[in-house]
Amino acid sequence: MTAVIEVAGLTKTFGSVTAVNDVSFTVEENKIYGLLGRNGAGKTTLMQLLTGQDFATSGSIEVFGQSPVENAKVLQRVSFIKESQRYPEDFKPKHVFKSAPWFFANWDQDFADRLIADFRLPVDRRIKKMSRGQVSAIGVIVGLASRAPLTFFDEPYLGLDAVARQIFYDRLLEDYANHPRTVILSTHLIDEVANLLEHVIVIDEGRIIIDEDADTLRGSATAVVGTSLAVDAFVGTREVLHRDGIGGLASVTVGGLSEKERADARAAGLELSPVSLQQLIIRKTNLSEKEFEVSA
Amino acid sequence: MTTLTDHAPATPLQRIVRVAKLHLANPWTTVVVPWMVVGIIFAANFAIWWIILSNLDPSEKVDAGEGLQWSGASMWIFVYMMVVAVQAISITFPFALGYGVTRRDYYLGSALAFVGLSAMYAAGLTILSVIEEATGGWGLGGRMFTAAYYGDGAWPERLFIYFVAFLFFFFVGAAVASVWVRWRANGLTVFFVVLGFILIGGAALLTFTASWYLVGNFFAGAGFLGSYAWSLVLTAIAAVTGFFILRRATPRA
Amino acid sequence: MDESRPIFLQIAEQIENDIISGQLAEETQVPSINEFAAFYRINPATALKGVTLLVEAGALYKKRGIGMFVADGAQASLKGKRRDQFSAEFVRPLVAEAGKLGITPTQLAEMIRKEDAK
Repeated sequence: MTAVIEVAGLTKTFGSVTAVNDVSFTVEENKIYGLLGRNGAGKTTLMQLLTGQDFATSGSIEVFGQSPVENAKVLQRVSFIKESQRYPEDFKPKHVFKSAPWFFANWDQDFADRLIADFRLPVDRRIKKMSRGQVSAIGVIVGLASRAPLTFFDEPYLGLDAVARQIFYDRLLEDYANHPRTVILSTHLIDEVANLLEHVIVIDEGRIIIDEDADTLRGSATAVVGTSLAVDAFVGTREVLHRDGIGGLASVTVGGLSEKERADARAAGLELSPVSLQQLIIRKTNLSEKEFEVSA
Repeated sequence: MTTLTDHAPATPLQRIVRVAKLHLANPWTTVVVPWMVVGIIFAANFAIWWIILSNLDPSEKVDAGEGLQWSGASMWIFVYMMVVAVQAISITFPFALGYGVTRRDYYLGSALAFVGLSAMYAAGLTILSVIEEATGGWGLGGRMFTAAYYGDGAWPERLFIYFVAFLFFFFVGAAVASVWVRWRANGLTVFFVVLGFILIGGAALLTFTASWYLVGNFFAGAGFLGSYAWSLVLTAIAAVTGFFILRRATPRA
Repeated sequence: MDESRPIFLQIAEQIENDIISGQLAEETQVPSINEFAAFYRINPATALKGVTLLVEAGALYKKRGIGMFVADGAQASLKGKRRDQFSAEFVRPLVAEAGKLGITPTQLAEMIRKEDAK
């Protein structure tokens, strides 16, 4: 698989704050990546560095094999849709959809028109006077219809209501299936997008703590529930990600279990409970915090 | 599954031109509104001339006519263009970055748009000034487009002056906005403080060394047209400065 | 979609269930990867993994340019595989639960017969 992005030792500091801390990873072509993390973890900064909108303090970035900074050849193939996108004074959506095709060679007007209808976007109204959800929809439509080989979505769907978000996920999947491209979604609404992702990168306080295939990650944790005795007996020496309990009951999150181990657990009267991607990432994020505390 | 067809990448010229187009994507702000306001200001002035001038004796009319040559009615449009430039840098710049435009292409494309708009407005106002002359001040002895600021030469001179003046306001506006985008409020403050020191300091220096006459001689020597031509130097400095400032600017929220 | 197990496994199981029940007859076409992805709202790569599992197991095969088809004999072989798993997956928990409630194997057998007669 070709790498469209290669990052090595990337760091970005704003004065005394280190937003991105010695980050290294690779993004492979034509996959949907989730860039996940809490608010302020460094997702937006990272995306701004990858798209040449901000300048790295140190480290290297290669997009399509070259540095993206002030590089028209690379940036023409990239679309970066931000949540806080501001539009020129007195612009209406129709001006955005009129100008976007000039900059994105793969722009599909039919697709854009269908999306405008799907999101019920009034194209002839001043953007200044539109609701947050409608403004977000503009960004989403540009990101989808641009068909840019590398498309970033930086939480642009936060302003959208649940129905509109579902429309976005469905259209994204559908279009990605028929016209593959590399998509990077950043969000802190992990559960909503969990099934869309093929690969997950989790960033916490500027560092990457998870960089994993989504299915592998999903299979890497299970919650074992039952009486404390039975649970502890089953868990034995396995690594424990999280422990919860009331009275004589315990719920312990452990690493992935094979089908046989699952059967054994059930036979022992234990219940195996799902660990959503969101919960898994929260558990691992907490763990990493502890690691940092210990090493500090 | 179809693969993406990667159309041939755009040439540098195409990239610059499409940025210029971007500034005109919504012609309302850059074309329609300015002309509308010129029209409204003209109409207001016309009404005033009608009321005042038509009630005067011929001799008084001449006096009034002389006063009108200092009419600042046409000044507004220059300030508006400066605001257009400021918005182009402070708002449209981050937007264009989202379209994958490089800072270099953005500045060059904007410069192209500024030059184009300057040419259009200079031409338009010159035509209006010719009509003003030909009709003896719109039949009322009024003056707006042939104000003394634009010299008393023939229309080619006026065209040059208008053009140069527009360029000045565009690029100075863009340069100041670049300072804002790059260094925000602090940068702007520093900029104006430094500018203030230079201007006041310069004026103080000239006063204390009684050298104002040198300034006067300079402009007299250059002549009316020449003095305006010198403003091109300032415009060029603003343009180049703006470019280098914007090159490292980031669209921070 | 059960969160605790890989989704591609669940997709594979779903297709297996349909083959076993006869809903997906042998030599008929299976929905495309993209259709699965859209229906379950999952990434096409995940759907592909699930389908690939079955292709490797010999339950599905690919007709170039047309799509995926259910293989001849898939129903029988899948039923066989499930029978092997039946004991561990269903019988063991059944016996354990019955034991908890004090139901003897004989009583259990009687309950099964009654249930079957309905």
